[in-house]
Amino acid sequence: MSEPRGAYLGDENTPYYGGKLLENLLLFGRLCRGLGMQVTANVMPDVAHALSLIEIGRRQDAYHAMRALMVSRQRDLPLFDEAFNLFWQPEANNPVSMDVRSLVEPRRKKRKQFLLPMGSTPDDETEANLPPLDENLIALIPTYSALERLRYKDFAEMTGGELEAVKRLMERLPWSLGERRSRRFVAGEGAQFDLRRAFRRNMRYGGEFLFLPTRQIKIKPRPLVMICDISGSMERYTRVLMQFAHTLANSMYQVESFVFATHLTRVTRLIRRRSVDAALREVGVTVRDWGGGTKIGETLKEFNYRWARRVLGRGAVTLLITDGWDRGDPDVLSEEAERLQLSSYRVIWLNPLLASAGYEPLTRGAAVLLPYVDDFLPIANLANLEMLARLLWQVKWQRPERKRASAGI
Amino acid sequence: MFETIDATLETLREQNYIAERGLATAIFLALRLRKPIFFEGEAGVGKTEIAKVLASALNTRLIRMQCYEGLDSSAALYEWNYPQQLLYLRMLEASGASREEMRANLFTREFLQARPLLQALELSANGTPPVLLIDELDRADEEFEAFLLEILSDFQVTIPELGTVKAEHPPIVIITSNRTREIHDALKRRCIYFWIDYPSFQKELSIVRAKAPHVEPSLARLITAFVQELRQLDLFKAPGIAETIDWASALIALDQKTLSPEIVEETIGVILKYQDDIETINRATFQAILDRARINAELQA
Repeated sequence: MSEPRGAYLGDENTPYYGGKLLENLLLFGRLCRGLGMQVTANVMPDVAHALSLIEIGRRQDAYHAMRALMVSRQRDLPLFDEAFNLFWQPEANNPVSMDVRSLVEPRRKKRKQFLLPMGSTPDDETEANLPPLDENLIALIPTYSALERLRYKDFAEMTGGELEAVKRLMERLPWSLGERRSRRFVAGEGAQFDLRRAFRRNMRYGGEFLFLPTRQIKIKPRPLVMICDISGSMERYTRVLMQFAHTLANSMYQVESFVFATHLTRVTRLIRRRSVDAALREVGVTVRDWGGGTKIGETLKEFNYRWARRVLGRGAVTLLITDGWDRGDPDVLSEEAERLQLSSYRVIWLNPLLASAGYEPLTRGAAVLLPYVDDFLPIANLANLEMLARLLWQVKWQRPERKRASAGI
Repeated sequence: MFETIDATLETLREQNYIAERGLATAIFLALRLRKPIFFEGEAGVGKTEIAKVLASALNTRLIRMQCYEGLDSSAALYEWNYPQQLLYLRMLEASGASREEMRANLFTREFLQARPLLQALELSANGTPPVLLIDELDRADEEFEAFLLEILSDFQVTIPELGTVKAEHPPIVIITSNRTREIHDALKRRCIYFWIDYPSFQKELSIVRAKAPHVEPSLARLITAFVQELRQLDLFKAPGIAETIDWASALIALDQKTLSPEIVEETIGVILKYQDDIETINRATFQAILDRARINAELQA
């Protein structure tokens, strides 16, 4: 403890970590305040103390510790989650934009004061001597980086033990889909008067309308539909991807899962009720074409005709997991891919091949499919999954801008 | 009238509704066990029609609640008539009424607007249980399902200001769904479930004959056979029975005695509602389908 301790670092009992952690922590506190959360300055020493009591390398523990102390209102939870994920990002090669406005604008229109770049003067002058933000500041917690190697290792090359580790890590990722406005109302600060409550409450004042309660639109999570290729060319990734489906189905609100090689099979219930291994065994029985070729077009057609109307309602996001090796008719593929895009809020294509350097979607299937997806992401290692988790988080109100792909050709 | 399955079938037929035995059994059981019936099936196979037919056969009222996203208790159960209450409140104030008087006078049945569910419960409480049709439940949200579950298990509603409305003899509840999403198991468990499929040739023919009696028998057979053939094709949306009946009526309106590929092409919009589907079958295909339909129609005759 040779370095001098600043006045803002709490009393003697507050642990000192060295490095940037404490500074990061305080910055994080300010970020949360800037977002409009109720975080009083005096909880920050408690947070610092709490972090000394837990194994700080475990991100989920750190998350829960901070959340327990810093969030005091239920409606701040999503804000906190977003701030946490934005701020405590493990990789340094992913510079964080502090333009938090883009994050919260739709949710809180009234609050405009955010945490601005760290160099700018905050309301309190003593805090002005905080060092300016640099990239290293964000890179957190050394123990965490021990996982780096695992994070960038291709799923296909992993050993059983590593896959186990990935499975646990996957479960800890904060899976959440974007949200949509439903057509329902709940009590809250909205534009609509809630006449029923108004009458009930104001009767006690002799019918004088002192309170005018309002209602606001209820926000709901979006449903997710996964269509996962388990054909021969994808075999190496099948296991992890099924695990991925299992994780999603168990951590999110409404997930429908399908697998296909040459035929489409719905595995939603299977995955939800059983372990992945049991589900895989069962799918192995019901889906007889594990090693066969892929006919993506026919599969999508089957999906569109039989399932789309049942599962793609209410602004669903579609995850299509395939390497794009198509042995079917490209015309069918383009037609059905377009239909799929038109009936989904967003189509995200996850391709394990995309992670390998130099891959370009030049196979016939991939070239046909590409114009009809809204996002094209790699899914070959854990880092990819984290990226996906972040992307899903950000799927917000607006549908991605789409060009009519067919018109261009 | 609904004493046995055969009697149920007969009653439905008298009402111009051609049902298969499975459906008659489901209805018979639902009436006997006083359980709601849950109908699922493609659009246009006659789910909603059953409710109308039952109401007419039982000579009772039909109360229909069309579901939509955002349907909530104030639109499904009851709502106070706020504008009237406000006016009345001002009158009471002017007359110098006390607070208790206000409360007692403002929240009376007079100011309550009963929505379908409450209407059904009130009618049942009065001893004339209606047929309550909850149409296209898959359009409502999950929250509404949970609410419905509560109503369907107790058949009673408590309005804080007025008290409890309880139906001694519950209404006959018919729920339909087009399967645009899965309905929760908890709700299905309380109901008798029946999947209405596309009908067989004979059944569909009887339906067309019953619903469009002016169509000549040979044309009716041909129309039915044609639609049955269409359903064999790989279509995004196969035509339902409602479409067949519409088509028959359309052909009468056009004074057609038989089908030709040209006529089919001109009127195809009555039976196929997706441009992709219309594109998949061109005039040559019409001819082929028509030929097959002719053979089938003759075989059936």
